[in-house]
Amino acid sequence: MVDEVTRKTLSNIPLLKIKAGPRDKELWVERLKEEYQTLIKYVSANKAADNDWFRLESNKEGTKWFGKCWVIHELLKYEFDVEFDIAVTYPMTAPEIALPGLDGKTAKMYRGGKICLSDHFKPLWARNVPKFGIGHAMALGLGPWLAVEIPDLIAKGVISYKEKVAE
Amino acid sequence: MADWEEVKRLAADFQKVQLSSTTQKLSERNCIEIVSWLLEKKMIDLIFTSDGKEYLTPSQLVQDIKSELYVNGGRINLVDLAKLIGVDLAHINAHINDVLKGQKDIHSVLGQLIDSSYITKIAGEINEKLIQQGQINVSKLTIQYDLPAEFLQQTIEKNLDKLIFGKQDKNDPRIFFTESFIARCKARIRGALGGLTRPTPVAAILAQIDITEKLFFSLFDQTSMYGNLTSRLAGAQYIPNVYARSQNEWVQNFYKQNGYVEFDALIRIGISDYKNYIKKQFANEKILQLNSCVVNQSILDRIEADIDECISSKSYVDLQTNLPSVFNENDIKLVLDKVLTNQKLQQTLVLNCFVISKAFIEKISKDCDELVKEKAKKSVESGKYQQYQTSLQVSHKSLKFDDVEEKVDKREERRKKAAGGKTGGGTQGRETKTKSTKKPGRTTTKQVDDFEEKKVVLNILTEEDLTSAIQMPLEEEGLDELMQPIIDYLLPKLNEQGIEIAGNIYATTIADRTANRRQTHNEIQNKLNVMVGDIRLYEKGLKLLPADCQAQLYKYLLKTHCTDVVTEILNYVAAEQNLNPVNENFNNDQRLKFINDLPQEYKTPLANLTKTLSGQSVDDFMAAVEEGLAACSMIIKKIDKKKDRTTILAHKHELLEKLNSCTDVALILHLAILVIFTTATQNMLHASGRHLSSLLTFLKQYLSEEEYSEFMLYYDFVTLMLAAGSESENAKEKLKEKYPNIVKIANEYKRPGAEK
Repeated sequence: MVDEVTRKTLSNIPLLKIKAGPRDKELWVERLKEEYQTLIKYVSANKAADNDWFRLESNKEGTKWFGKCWVIHELLKYEFDVEFDIAVTYPMTAPEIALPGLDGKTAKMYRGGKICLSDHFKPLWARNVPKFGIGHAMALGLGPWLAVEIPDLIAKGVISYKEKVAE
Repeated sequence: MADWEEVKRLAADFQKVQLSSTTQKLSERNCIEIVSWLLEKKMIDLIFTSDGKEYLTPSQLVQDIKSELYVNGGRINLVDLAKLIGVDLAHINAHINDVLKGQKDIHSVLGQLIDSSYITKIAGEINEKLIQQGQINVSKLTIQYDLPAEFLQQTIEKNLDKLIFGKQDKNDPRIFFTESFIARCKARIRGALGGLTRPTPVAAILAQIDITEKLFFSLFDQTSMYGNLTSRLAGAQYIPNVYARSQNEWVQNFYKQNGYVEFDALIRIGISDYKNYIKKQFANEKILQLNSCVVNQSILDRIEADIDECISSKSYVDLQTNLPSVFNENDIKLVLDKVLTNQKLQQTLVLNCFVISKAFIEKISKDCDELVKEKAKKSVESGKYQQYQTSLQVSHKSLKFDDVEEKVDKREERRKKAAGGKTGGGTQGRETKTKSTKKPGRTTTKQVDDFEEKKVVLNILTEEDLTSAIQMPLEEEGLDELMQPIIDYLLPKLNEQGIEIAGNIYATTIADRTANRRQTHNEIQNKLNVMVGDIRLYEKGLKLLPADCQAQLYKYLLKTHCTDVVTEILNYVAAEQNLNPVNENFNNDQRLKFINDLPQEYKTPLANLTKTLSGQSVDDFMAAVEEGLAACSMIIKKIDKKKDRTTILAHKHELLEKLNSCTDVALILHLAILVIFTTATQNMLHASGRHLSSLLTFLKQYLSEEEYSEFMLYYDFVTLMLAAGSESENAKEKLKEKYPNIVKIANEYKRPGAEK
């Protein structure tokens, strides 16, 4: 089921067309192009809405992605590293986004800081192969997870605000 | 490898996009946060709209309210305002004061805002309406404009003569009208009132001219010169001056012409409060208020003159005909009260509506004088007067005894009287009746009447007597309708007079009687002596007869001669005691009763005497007589034997005389036998016809054979005749033939001894 919030988020992210993984040589390139275009759109839409919440870059092949993401809670900005690999099965399986900084701090996380995505994300992704890409994974996977977990973790005192986090 | 280049370029673009600065824009959420923070800190004052999505500053709200008011034509409901502006009603209410502050032309009325433009508008409307209708009521406007009366009142008053051209009703500030309307109404009222000639209820007038009651009454004073209102209330009547004037004229004319005014007539012409009216109308006149009318002095003078004349001419006046016909009896009474002075009152008699001079009545009563005298005499002679006197005394006495002897006595007395009244002859009974049916109170003797009615009434003159006596003269005068009252008036007087006359007559007789009393006493004594002597002789004769006859003859003797003696004694006693004289046919009971009423000195001897009458023995009677006479202070003379002979002889001669003059055949036999007995035995005998047969048998020894048989035959015929059988006529004839013979025998009979 696609709820209202999801639909709205999705409307800002263009859908992908090419179904190809990193092994698919030519097609992967095409796919990667689409991924970038999608991300650009998403990010610029976020910026326009004053809702910029992450930075991402990838290796040359576009199989490893890393960057930062942040949450503003009670007028304080909490920043976390984010990284994930594109598995060979991509785009059939969703990328496993990890927040290594929070590894071991919350139960909703696999070893290595991989976030435990909600139950309905995976079937949603499965239904939308190959239309969903990295942007969707960020928007529908990491975004909601952060929105739910971080205020909780802050309240528990697991994470605290660090002044002057290096930009 | 162009693809990879492209990828690289895209990656760079991506980085570039990510690094480009985010636009400095507050999200909606931030704005709300900021605003709420500011509100929290009370740094700004804002009003939320009802959907919560917008804020307003108070000054904006005030502005909005003003503009909405303007858009809505100067009048708007606060609830509507809240809806239109989209804020809560509470905010509107909170800021209404700000709106009103400094804005004198805006009013908040009943949850509505109204500004001066609207007021001007409705003032204009009201003015138009006022011009159209002529009159406007604030209460009606409140319904139309749905505004409070007070506000409208203020509005109108403020705009009076500025925007609204009219006048305020002085009596009712809520009503406004135009001059023209008032003029119109006045004209209408004037027209209506001018047209009326008779009293009319105001309601009827209002219905006709379609003007409200209030208006009518307030305008009436300004318009009315034609009449008056009975009151200022709803049920008032309008009385036109014309009508009142004609009424007054009529009353005055009538009064001047006739000298009186009848209340009924006043009511008829519509003056219901005639008493006040008359007071007003005839304030200067000398009038007399009567029961049904007022009357002026001239009529009274006339009546007075009439009465004077009546007195001087010794006649009568019929006021009913002399006064106007409307006068009722009460009026006449009142007039008489006024006119009749004390002096006149003594000279006149007022009966019904007639004033009769006393002289006239006297004339009539004089006519009756003869009659009264005659009647009085009669009543004395018949003893009625004496009876009346005694019963009067008895009743007086019983009255005196009342205190001592309780009422039983009185009741008994009355019962006796009642019994006496019943038995005492028809005339008296009827008289008592007529007396009681008579209306009491007419005459001055009322009290006496009442008193006498209870007691004893003696009417010398009966109503019928008087009626017949005065009918003629009264009819000649045309006064027959006054017959009854005149009789009522005269009868007691004449009766009194009659009783007086009777009293005089009686007194003279009594005087005679007392003068003769001694003589009477002697007379009676002698008479009684003679009677007692006779009885003794009779008894002596009786004793000659056989014993079986004697008892019967004793009884007969007691019943006849002895009873006579007793009656005589009682009569004497009655006269002596001034009691009712004893009747001849007194029976034993009546006698006893009479004796019971006597004083003690008489009571016992007389009671004993009376008792012997019903006994068997003449000897007892003789003893009792002696005793009784002693009580009456009389003496029985000593027996004189020489005198007996002469008495017997006289008796015989008397009998013979009777016999010779007698024609009754049966009596002849009786007398003949008695004569023979007397002659034969030289004794007197008193016997009834019943004893004749036994006497005959006794006389057989003294008679010759033929004489005896002649008597027996005659006796048989007599019995035959008295038996009234078929042969009685025949026997009578026979007796007529024979009686001279019997007479002859009796006359010629000689005592056998003497012959020898």
